[in-house]
Amino acid sequence: MAQLSIRSVSKSYGAVQVLDDVSVEVEEGSFVVLLGPSGCGKSTLLHAVAGLNPIDSGSIVIGDRNVTNLPARERDVAMVFQSYALYPTMTVAQNIAFPLKMRGLDRRTSDEKVAGVARLLQIEPLLSRLPRELSGGQRQRVAIGRALVRDPRLFLFDEPLSNLDAALRTELRAEIKRLHQSIRRTMVYVTHDQTEALTLADKIVVLKAGKIEQTGTPLSLYDDPDNVFVAGFIGTPRMNFLKATVVDDGKALTAGEARVDITHLKARLDNGRTVTLGIRPEHLDEKEGVTLSLAVDVTERLGSTSYVHGALPSGETVVAERREDQPRFGETITLRFQPTRARIFDAEGNRIR
Amino acid sequence: MRPVAAASDPTRHFFQPIIVCLTVASVALTLFVIWISLHDLSLMRAGREKFVGLDNYIRFLGDPRAMAALWRTVLFTVLATVIEIALGLAVVLFLDRDFAMKRLVRTLLLVPIIMTPVVVGLTWRFLFDPATGMANYLLSLVGIAQVDWLGSPRIALFSVLVADIWQWTPFVILLVMAALESAPTDPLNAARVDGAREWQVTWYVLLPMLRRALAIVALIRAIDSIKAFDLFYIMTRGGPALSTETLNYYGYIVAFTNFDISYALAIAIILTVFTNVALLTMYSVLFPKTGDR
Ligand SMILES: Nc1ncnc2c1ncn2[C@@H]1O[C@H](COP(=O)(O)OP(=O)(O)OP(=O)(O)O)[C@@H](O)[C@H]1O
Ligand SMILES: [Mg+2]
Repeated sequence: MAQLSIRSVSKSYGAVQVLDDVSVEVEEGSFVVLLGPSGCGKSTLLHAVAGLNPIDSGSIVIGDRNVTNLPARERDVAMVFQSYALYPTMTVAQNIAFPLKMRGLDRRTSDEKVAGVARLLQIEPLLSRLPRELSGGQRQRVAIGRALVRDPRLFLFDEPLSNLDAALRTELRAEIKRLHQSIRRTMVYVTHDQTEALTLADKIVVLKAGKIEQTGTPLSLYDDPDNVFVAGFIGTPRMNFLKATVVDDGKALTAGEARVDITHLKARLDNGRTVTLGIRPEHLDEKEGVTLSLAVDVTERLGSTSYVHGALPSGETVVAERREDQPRFGETITLRFQPTRARIFDAEGNRIR
Repeated sequence: MRPVAAASDPTRHFFQPIIVCLTVASVALTLFVIWISLHDLSLMRAGREKFVGLDNYIRFLGDPRAMAALWRTVLFTVLATVIEIALGLAVVLFLDRDFAMKRLVRTLLLVPIIMTPVVVGLTWRFLFDPATGMANYLLSLVGIAQVDWLGSPRIALFSVLVADIWQWTPFVILLVMAALESAPTDPLNAARVDGAREWQVTWYVLLPMLRRALAIVALIRAIDSIKAFDLFYIMTRGGPALSTETLNYYGYIVAFTNFDISYALAIAIILTVFTNVALLTMYSVLFPKTGDR
C-alpha cells in the first residue's frame, strides 16, 4: 500500500495553472524526489501535501486517510521549508523543541531529543541564538532539525540543502540518506539539483511547468528517458542532441556524415522524417561504433576524466567525455558511439522506442 | 589609509547648526519654564512676583485636586491604551482574511482618525445626551434604565474614554495591520505543520512577531492619552464636579482661569517628568537591551 497518494491534483493561481493533473504514488518507507526547474510547482505540490495550500481538484491520501480536507495540524507530516520558516522570536533550541511542545512532550525528553538532533546537525553551539543571528546554512540546519526531531508519518523536504557549502551539503546528503535507511520513514524531497536526486532517490518525479514529465527510478530516467526534457535534465554534462534524418526505409539515420543503424527500434519510421538523436557525453568514448569528428574548443580536466567541448562539421556543439587523452584547442578528434546508446526523439520531443 | 573621520564629513555644515539651534531652543525654554515655576508669577499680581523656591512643587503635593487629576490621568491613560490595543489587535486578527470589501473597510477605518476631535467630541455629546441621545435610546430598546452619560461624576470619565476608544482604535488597527502584512507567513505555516492549533499559532508565533509593532503603537497611544485635552474640553470641561479633570486639563484651568502661571508651569513640568519616567520604564520593559529577547 502506498504511504502517500497524490491523485490528479490540480491547482491554479488565477489564470496560471501551477499544478496540472499531478499524480504520484509514494511507497511506504521510500524516498521520492521531486525534480524540476525553478518555478515548475515543486513547492506548491509540497505545500498541498502538507495541507497549507488548498487544491482545486484531486485528492491526497496519507496512509489510509484521505487528508484532502484536513488541516495541516492533523496530517502528521514534518516539513522543511524552502524559506526555512524559523520562528524569529524563538531561540534555536526553542525552534527545534516547538513541535514537541505542541505535542505536550515533557521537558526532559524534549531537551534530550533537541540535544540529539543538534549533535547530528552540528549546531550545538548555536542552541541559544536567535534565527537572525545565524548564517543561511545554519538556519537551514535548524529547519532540518525541527523536522527531524519529530517522528511523523511523512517527511517533506523543500530544497533543504540549497544554501550549504559543497562539503556540508555532501555530508548532510549522506546524513539524510543514512537517516532514511535507519528510520525507514517515507520522505518526499524537492530539489533542482540532480546529483542530490540521483544519489538519494528510490524514485524521481520530474516536473515541468506543473506537469509530470516522467516518473521512475534514477537509473530508468537516466537510461530510458521518455522525452527530450527528461533526457536533457538528467545527467551532467547534458545529453547531446543532434539533428538526424531517417534513411534506408527506416533502417538508419544520418546525422551529418554519420550513419546510425536503428534496426533495434520497435517503431517503424518513414524515410526522410526529421528526428533528434540524443547521445550522452559518457557514451562518446567507445573503441568502436559510429564515428563523429569533433573540432575541439575547450577541454575541462576533472582529474580522473575530461570533458571535451567542440563542434561537429555540421556546426552542432557537442560535449564528449574523454578518459585516455586530453585533446587541445584546434585538434580534431574522432568520437565513437554504439548506436544502441543513442536515444531517438520525434519533432515534439517525445521518445521513439 | 585614514578612515573617513566625522570631522571631514561635509554634511556637518548642514546638521551641526540645526542641532545647535534645536538644543539651544529646547534647553533655553526648559530652563526658562523651570525658572518661572520657581517664582509666584500670577497675572492677577502682575509685576510683583518673587522667587519662592520649590513652593509650587510642595503645593502640588498638598493639592488634593491636583493629586486626583494625576490619578485620573493615570487611570485614563492605562485604560485607553490597554483597551485600544486589545480591541485593535482583536479586530486585526479577525480581519486577517480575504473578504469582499476589505479595501472599503480599511478606508472606513480612516474616518475616525481624520475627523477633528471637536467634531468627534460634539458627536459623542449628542450620542450621550440623556434625553435625546442615541445611547440611551439603544439602552431603552433592551429595557435598561437610562444613564446620565456625561452628567454623572461616576460615569463621565468612562464616556469620554468611549469616545477616545472610538477615535483611536482604528489607528491601532491600521498600524498593526501593516505590521501583520509585512510579517512572513511561512513561520505560521510551519507552526501549523508542527501541530499548533490556530490559537497556538497566534499566541506562540504571530503575537511575538508583532510585539515590536504593538509596543510602538502602545507608546504612541500612551503619550497621546496622557496629553489628551480636546475631547475633555469639548465633552465635559473637566466636569461634572471635576470628575473628568485630568492633570493636563487642570494645568490649563490653573493657567487660564486662575492665571496662576508659575503653578501651571510647575504642573506642566511634573506632568512631563512623570510622562518621561513612565514611558521610559515602559520602553525598557518592552525593548530590553540585552538581545531584544
Ligand atoms: N501565491 C502565489 N500566487 C501566484 N502565483 C504563485 C504563487 N505561489 C507560486 N506561484 C507561481 O507558481 C509557480 C510554481 O511555484 P513554486 O514555488 O511551486 O515553484 P518551485 O518549483 O518550488 O520553484 P523553485 O525551485 O524556484 O523553488 C511559479 O510560477 C510561481 O510564480
Ligand atoms: Mg520551491
